[in-house]
Formats: sequence, structure tokens, C-alpha cells
Amino acid sequence: MKYMRKEYPLTAAQNMHYQWIREYKTQQVSGVSSVAALRSPLDFGLLKKCIQLEIERYGCLRLRFTKPDENGDIRQYIVSKDPRDIPMKDLSGMTMKEADDLMQSWAYETLDGNDRPMFDIYMMKLPEGYNGFFIHMDHRLIDSCGLVVMVNDLMQLYTHYRFGSEYPKDLADFEKVLESDLKKAGNEKRFAKDKKFWDDQLDALGEPLYSDIQGPSVLEAARKKHGDPQLRAADIERKQLFVAVKDYVLEPAPTKGLIDFCMNHQLSMTNLLLLGIRTYLSKVNDGQEDITIENFISRRSTHDEWTSGGSRTIMFPCRTVIAPETSFMEAAYEIQNVQNRIYMHSNYDPALIREKMKRRYHTPEDTVYESCYLTYQPMPVKMDNPFLKDIPMHNKWFANGAATKKMYLTVSHTENGGMNFSYHYQTAALTEKDMELLYYYMMRILFTGISNPDMSIGEIMETV
Amino acid sequence: MDNTVEFKNIVAQYTEIAAEDMTDDMRFREDLGFSSLDFMSFLGELEDTFDVELEQEDALQVRTLGEALEMLDRMTEE
Repeated sequence: MKYMRKEYPLTAAQNMHYQWIREYKTQQVSGVSSVAALRSPLDFGLLKKCIQLEIERYGCLRLRFTKPDENGDIRQYIVSKDPRDIPMKDLSGMTMKEADDLMQSWAYETLDGNDRPMFDIYMMKLPEGYNGFFIHMDHRLIDSCGLVVMVNDLMQLYTHYRFGSEYPKDLADFEKVLESDLKKAGNEKRFAKDKKFWDDQLDALGEPLYSDIQGPSVLEAARKKHGDPQLRAADIERKQLFVAVKDYVLEPAPTKGLIDFCMNHQLSMTNLLLLGIRTYLSKVNDGQEDITIENFISRRSTHDEWTSGGSRTIMFPCRTVIAPETSFMEAAYEIQNVQNRIYMHSNYDPALIREKMKRRYHTPEDTVYESCYLTYQPMPVKMDNPFLKDIPMHNKWFANGAATKKMYLTVSHTENGGMNFSYHYQTAALTEKDMELLYYYMMRILFTGISNPDMSIGEIMETV
Repeated sequence: MDNTVEFKNIVAQYTEIAAEDMTDDMRFREDLGFSSLDFMSFLGELEDTFDVELEQEDALQVRTLGEALEMLDRMTEE
């Protein structure tokens, strides 16, 4: 009997990346790359064995995509084996900057075609005695949380075989979790509830209003271009996708101030950050009260969701209308309230929200209501492995070099208790100066707010 | 209708604590480590599993397992 492989449609999170690939006509926008290396000699024969074992354990690594059908749609399937060799790249004769630059260039490469493995992995000999591996993947297989889980699992395998540590716990079966996700997405009652939530928001608040990092001139330019003085959406960049990255590190002491404020007021860090960004946007857009920011949600809650890998992160518009007389604290809770409701309806496909708005408000092609996108990564970057905890690490993410978003901020925690604010911005419209202003005012807003939670948003905008 | 077993099995998917070790006074956030996303996903899971529609305002006031179970029992009896 001929073996029939089991194929699945893409999940909403995967489809988000696939649609970007189609819209921007390059797989580059879906690349994710990282290096993980330890300042220690490694047994590369053993590392190769562990990488091969990881490919067996972590089902999402064995995902393939079919050729697009006549409508351009693709399906996915999981192969049972991927018996590849793991090549070695020796960059130990370079400086670390040269090695990083070379790995950065690998991150720009595309994984084109169908029915093929969707990741490359190399064992790495790096300068200054660092050794490890570099991985370049398609985001439809994995998101950054999934990649961190994979790296931890791989290093646990290595320390098990090398030092006799405990064998890592089983990872959840990717295919089962995928089936469960697709079943949830197909639940008609759930779908109706989610749809109602998003429709109700539009009914209550009407059409959103674009707010730009650079102020109202961007919306004005879109209104002129489309000959519509009432237009509420602005154009996105489709051609010049080059992205630059600017990182700012917030020191441990002020970071603790933010964390303590969140703890003391039962507020999540995501919501505090959203408040910081939205207040900045309001400030530079003449006090605009109706602000929308796209916030990425990792959609990982259960054990299985955490350990199955896969691309679970998806973005939803966080829209709030906050009057200037609202206190900082009230505004924070307002955002929390909105976000909590979004979390409950996060199985919904956000593409449907955008389609609905487009139909309802007849917005021109390639226009959006948001200029800022946020990801907050609560997971600590340090590997949770007692055999490795005292060994210096070189762990770096490489931007894929092609941004679909005007400005995408990733906030993560550093090993020393600080926070890293990584701004990825399209250089077609933005400069490092814009990022500097955004970071500076975000911090001024947040620290003025947490020191004076009863101060109004309007006063804070004037004060900073 | 006793929803306890199924309810605790769902909670167990989100925490390190086994269903048999759960007590009514355990708090979702402080004792079980639920984040806001976890809690809201959990409420959605309750709705789908028990085919009920939770009042979101009431659900957000829930702090402990006992309170959540009580709310669920009320909803399934209606």
C-alpha cells in the first residue's frame, strides 16, 4: 500500500509569515537566525550527534511545505527523518566582529523552494575560544521562544552525554499540538465568539487612526497621495525593506524599578511597555487619543505549547482611546483590560481583522493603522543548565535584514538583570535619531509615570 | 454536576503542580505561576470544554482555584 503523507493547512501564525513572503516577494522576511556558543572546548562529534538527535526530538524542525496550489496556498507536512550531515564552519581565525558580520550575512540568505528542509545548521568554531552552533530557519517552523527551548534542550542532551547529567524531559509532540491548534481554530462556537469580540470593538470605536513615530506629517502625506483628506490609514513601505537595528540597554537598577512597579500593581510588563509607546505616539501626534500598536503574543501557556516548538507567535492590534486627563495608573489598567480580552480571543486569525477593516472602511492597498510593533520576551536568556551556568556564552540573534514593519521593538531581559530594547527599523523612512528619541521619551514617560502614578497622561506628555 | 476532576486536569496542563496536589485556596498567579495570557487562555479552555460562556468581568475577579471552580459549577448548573 502506498504511504499517504498527512498534510495540514497552515495555522494563523504560520500563515501570517507566509502572507508576508507573498506580499513582499521574498522568503527573507521570514528568516530567523541565532548563534549559541560557549567559551569552552566542545566535543564536536558528540555535538553533531546531539543536533541530529534534536532534529528527531523537535518535530517542527522536520516540517516541509508543499508547492503553492493555483490559489497560491500551501500545506505543511512532517517528515519522519532528516538524516543530514551537520557541517562545521571554522571562524576561529577571525575577530568576533568579523565572525558576527559573516554570520549576519548568512541570516540574509533565503530558504527558497518547496518540499525541502527549512533550516540550515552549522557547528561553529568561533574566535576567543567560543564553540557552538549557528542556526538559520524559516519563521513558519519556529519563533524565538521555540528556538530558545530548542537550544536549551540541545545543550541538555550534550551535557547528558558529556557529563552524565539528567536526560532532558520529553518534548511535546509537535504534530499533536498542531492538530489541536487546528481543531481549536475550527471550533465554530469559539470562532463566533472571537469574531464578535473584534467586530464589537470596531462597532464601538469606529475606524482606527494611524499614528506615526515621526508625527502627523506621515498621515498627512498619505492623505495627499490618495486624495482623501479624511483618510485614517497610512502607507507601508513595500520595496525598500532594509532594516537597521539599534539596541539600548536599561541598567539593572532602573529595570528593577519597572519590575517592582508591575509586581506592586499586578500589571504585566507588556502592558507597561505598551503604555510607554502609546504615550510617546500620542505626544508626537498632537495629543492623539486613539492609538493602535501591534503587539506580538507568543500563545504559549500549557506545557505542550511551551515544549512542542512551532511558530505560535502572532500579532494583534492593541487599540486604546485614552483621554489626557486619565491618570498613568488608570491608563495602565485600561491597556491591561484591553490586552486581557485580546488574550482570550487570541485563537482568532488577525488577518480576518484586517480584512474586515479593509472591507468596512475601504482603505487603499498597502495602508495600515500602526507604525509600531512590540514583542516582549519574558524568558531569561541564560541557559537553565547547571553544567553550563558559569561558562561565558556568545548568544546572538541576527536580523533577517528585511523588515515588513516600519519599527519593530523587541524587549528582553539581560543576564545581569537589565533589559534590552532592540529597535528594528526600516531605513527607508527612519534613522537612528528617530530610535534614540523614541527610546529616550519612552523611558522618560515610563519613569515619570511609575514615580507619579496619579499624574495624568496629559501632564506626563508635557513634563517629559 | 461535579466538574472538579476535569477542571483540575485542565489546570494541570498550565502548571508544574499535579491535579491531586491542588487545593481550593491556591491562587492562580501567586501559587500556580499563571501569567495574564495563561489565565485568559485557561478561561477560554474552560468555555470550550464545558460549553459555557463566562462573564468576563466576573471571571477576572477570580483569584483562587476554589473561586474558579465555584464559578464554573454555577455556569454549568444554569
